[in-house]
Amino acid sequence: MTLQAPGFWPPTGPEIVFLLLGVVALGSALLVVTTRQLVHAALWLVVCFGALAGGYLVLTAEFVAWVQVLIYVGAVVVLLLFGIMLTRAPIGRSADLDSGNRWAAALVALATAAVLVTVVVSGFRTAYAPLDPGQGAAKPLGSSIFRTWVLPFEALSVLLLAALVGAIVLSRTDIQGRK
Amino acid sequence: MNNPGPTLSDFGHDPLWISIIKAVAIFVFLMLGVLFGVWTERKLISRMQHRYGPNRAGKFGLLQSVADGLKMGLKEDLMPRTVDKVIYFLAPVVIAVPAFLAFSVIPFGPMVWMFGHKTPLQLTDLPVAVLLVLATASIGVYGIVLAGWGSRSPYAILGGLRSSAQVVSYEIAMGLSFVAVFLKAGTLSTSEIVAKQAGGGTWDIFGMHIPTPSWYVFSLIPSFLIYAVTMLGETNRVPFDLPEGEGELVGGFHTEYSSSLKFAMFMLAEYVNVFTVSAMAITLFLGGWRAPWPISLWDGANTGWWPMLWFFAKLALAFAFFVWVRASLPRVRYDQLMAFGWKVLIPLNLGWILLAATLQALRLPESNRNGILAFGAVVVIAGLGIWLRFDTVNQRRREARAAEVEEEFEQLREEPAAGGFPVPPLDLPHYHGVVPSARAPKEEVTSGSN
Amino acid sequence: MNGTIQAPTIEYALLAPMLVVFGAAIVGVLVEAFAPRYLRSAIHVPLTLLSLAGAFALTIWQAAAKGIPTKAAAMGAVAVDGPALFIWGTILVLAFVSVLLIKGEDHFVAAASAVPGSAEEEQALHEGAAHSEIYPLVLFAVGGMLLFPAANDLLVAFVALEVMSLPLYLLCGLARRRRLLSQEAAVKYFLLGAFSSAFFLYGTALLYGYAGSIDLAKISTAVGSVGGQDTLLYIGAAMLGVGLLFKIGAAPFQAWKPDVYQGAPTPITALMASGTLVAAFGALVRVFWVGLGGLDWDWRPVLYGVAILTMVVGAVLAITQTDIKRMLAYSSIAHGGFLLVGVIATGKAAAQNASALSGILFYLVAYGFTTVGAFAVVTMVRDAGGEAWHLSRWAGLGKRSPLLAGIFAFFLLAFAGIPLTSGFFGKYAVFQAAVSGGALPLVIVGVVASAVAAFFYVRVIVLMFFSDPAADGPSIVLPSRGTAAVVGLAVLATVVLGVYPQPVLDLAHSAAQSLFVR
Repeated sequence: MTLQAPGFWPPTGPEIVFLLLGVVALGSALLVVTTRQLVHAALWLVVCFGALAGGYLVLTAEFVAWVQVLIYVGAVVVLLLFGIMLTRAPIGRSADLDSGNRWAAALVALATAAVLVTVVVSGFRTAYAPLDPGQGAAKPLGSSIFRTWVLPFEALSVLLLAALVGAIVLSRTDIQGRK
Repeated sequence: MNNPGPTLSDFGHDPLWISIIKAVAIFVFLMLGVLFGVWTERKLISRMQHRYGPNRAGKFGLLQSVADGLKMGLKEDLMPRTVDKVIYFLAPVVIAVPAFLAFSVIPFGPMVWMFGHKTPLQLTDLPVAVLLVLATASIGVYGIVLAGWGSRSPYAILGGLRSSAQVVSYEIAMGLSFVAVFLKAGTLSTSEIVAKQAGGGTWDIFGMHIPTPSWYVFSLIPSFLIYAVTMLGETNRVPFDLPEGEGELVGGFHTEYSSSLKFAMFMLAEYVNVFTVSAMAITLFLGGWRAPWPISLWDGANTGWWPMLWFFAKLALAFAFFVWVRASLPRVRYDQLMAFGWKVLIPLNLGWILLAATLQALRLPESNRNGILAFGAVVVIAGLGIWLRFDTVNQRRREARAAEVEEEFEQLREEPAAGGFPVPPLDLPHYHGVVPSARAPKEEVTSGSN
Repeated sequence: MNGTIQAPTIEYALLAPMLVVFGAAIVGVLVEAFAPRYLRSAIHVPLTLLSLAGAFALTIWQAAAKGIPTKAAAMGAVAVDGPALFIWGTILVLAFVSVLLIKGEDHFVAAASAVPGSAEEEQALHEGAAHSEIYPLVLFAVGGMLLFPAANDLLVAFVALEVMSLPLYLLCGLARRRRLLSQEAAVKYFLLGAFSSAFFLYGTALLYGYAGSIDLAKISTAVGSVGGQDTLLYIGAAMLGVGLLFKIGAAPFQAWKPDVYQGAPTPITALMASGTLVAAFGALVRVFWVGLGGLDWDWRPVLYGVAILTMVVGAVLAITQTDIKRMLAYSSIAHGGFLLVGVIATGKAAAQNASALSGILFYLVAYGFTTVGAFAVVTMVRDAGGEAWHLSRWAGLGKRSPLLAGIFAFFLLAFAGIPLTSGFFGKYAVFQAAVSGGALPLVIVGVVASAVAAFFYVRVIVLMFFSDPAADGPSIVLPSRGTAAVVGLAVLATVVLGVYPQPVLDLAHSAAQSLFVR
């Protein structure tokens, strides 16, 4: 971060793309919370995740980008949609997606966003991270996960196992008594 | 051996116009492939069923697909009144675009000269190219889900739900079947995986050097078999075509799409997806564009434009496999499909990956072989112990069940009226629970009220 | 091709206690998968208890025979230092005791998926169904508790936080009686916990932006050297603080505690009130002292306020409670405030820090045992519909069962910090460190809050001994061997630590002597 940052003007190609992706991500995120149709909200979430993945790509983190598409777009939101369609499946606008607290919520969200934007802008105004292609490929990532971060990685697998067991506890219905 | 093909560093140097040429070539190839793919499928399946198949439009019915396409383009595009218009329009696009995208990382051949530029016969490659294919496949699901949802029709939504569950489940098994390939190749880039399948090692036994086959289909046969199953599931083809199962769901997710251009998009996407998964199978397991064994003895087989021919030949064979399966197998039941995916394919795959990783670790020079072997032995013995225990338990259950059935039969045999054959009782709900004599006088029913 | 990744160095011996617990949890999952149903409990209970005891033995062995390591283990992820070993030992014993409580009676729901009050639930109860998955889940939570206070970087801390919390969220919702309340508690705990985890993670990200690392030692170095990005540092530290203070239930983040303690099955409440609190305090002290040590001039006033607020809120709101478990929850909040007094008592001299740390460690041990004992007593006072939760039902308990009421009164006196109980020395150690650290006003507030708290403890005692018992009063169940052992052990610990605290004080002191490794 001590490197001298090149100026912001004129913006380079990747910078423009990144900004556009940011706008898409932000806009779709807003639409997620403002749309009145449950399924559309999930679909805007897909757009948001996709834009994020694009942002990762621009930052040369290709592995993370494609995994983001694969896991979040391809699995998480599909399951979300699955859940929506199997349970309530409201067609068209749902009236109860709104709440009387929306102005308070909007205010809190705006204030939080303002604080975070200020913090990030003031903190990283002068920061400059050069992008070396290849840093985000599978190999550097793998070697850092399985070397430096091996313990938290394993702990995460334990976490997932615990979550799995927990989900089974909550959902299974065929428990027989001890006879 | 000779000409291991391009590596990652060979990509990214093309001038823009070469990239455009390649992209257009891939697009045209896929479109033509779909046109003739449909024809091939219909012809082939007809021959398997002792029929002729399409034979009116053009020589051998070759123009049948063209005619169908024209018909679809000219038909009135019906739009049901209640559909969610945006989603209804979006779905065919969403399903078709990712199908094409995946082909950008499929290697068609080695480095060739193209208009004065030396360039690989592949649009582009990434260090994580295989992930890109998986990711695009997972985006394609949305097309089906959205088509089902946007149509606002029970059949369509059932098809959409089925497909989302099916594709997500089979994608896991599919991704896992790639893992062994990654382990062996040490890379996720398609061109390098093909390059790794260039030369096999030799197998030293009793002083003889037996060359081992280099394609991963031989060394990683379990992965390949599992992949072959999942590629049927991933593309919603028979026997896993539950999302559109016309027997129970009319047309499934595309019920509400009249056979217009939107429907054509679905067909297009289905066939392109078939090509994509076949091309992946070829790239990952069947040596990519490399010539098969007898041809590979010829030195020039893997140079220049020849490999494209081998690639197309393999693709045609893989497509024929799809057709063959369709002609032979009935559709599976939905719960069987899910149980097969989750309870058979995924555990098998995990076990096989463990085994493959162990073998791989044994081959490392600095590995602690005794430790690995001892640990492996413990795991195997524990697994065997558990299996034996459950086998005996299951055996006991089976015997108990058989005895029960036998007893039931004994009872039946003693009843002369039944004679051992099940006779439907007269008060079945089918007869509305009314014995004929006690039935009320018939009412007039107007036709059509049913 | 392969082998280009250097194998990481993992000090398995150092991590052995944690690995034993996690390993036993995974074996427990295998037992769930393969053992026949009627055998499962019979396998789980010894497995769980043995693994906890074994991990405790390994901890002792590490501390006694191998000495205290001076650098972080497992590629710098985990710092197994003196305080960590002491905290591990404490958590393991408390978890062992809680498991004895868990196995004691039927505290857990027969079938979690059955709607409360439905026919399925009745059938499951009738069939005697049971969730034996509880044991592996508890072990997972305990494993997370071990990792959390030893985490040497913020990412490990976050992962450990989740490993610790996730099973607890779930276990909270599995109470056998008053199930709607239990499920509500679980949902509240989950939502608020997820929210606080997000704070923690965001704080981690901002601190990474500030220091370029999430290693606590490197953040500490960066605090002295990196200039011009103070906003990042302050907001990051604040968010981290929110996440950590939530876990210990400090005001103004205490709202979840009464609801969750009330709704959760009582053995799980005991585990949370003891183990989670110990683990969270260990992590809090490590993050604030090691990572943000150079910033103490800035966070101390904030924690000052938080500590005062926590003590006051805990003590005052406890007076108004009518549910025994809610009252104990508010008491736990107040004790969190007293402990925070110790966190603030840092100074420039290492001796000051060591004495504050040893005070905190001793307090944690003393409070942990007493609270487990108190909740164990709560499980034994039963109405027709389960535990007698309303305070009025406890009226006259001293006349029906003088022994039990006497024990409970003793625990309450220990909470209040009456001399000759463990609570007295705990408070004394912490307050003494705070006085010598220059936080006299805080200590005065603490003493006043203790007096207020003593009021409601004594009120319960008066209620038990000087009121007439209700005609249809609650019955005292004959404790199972596990529950009896828990109560006995807690009484013993409270007495011994109150009468002859010196060995444990010494132990805490020697554990704190080396402070945290960096």
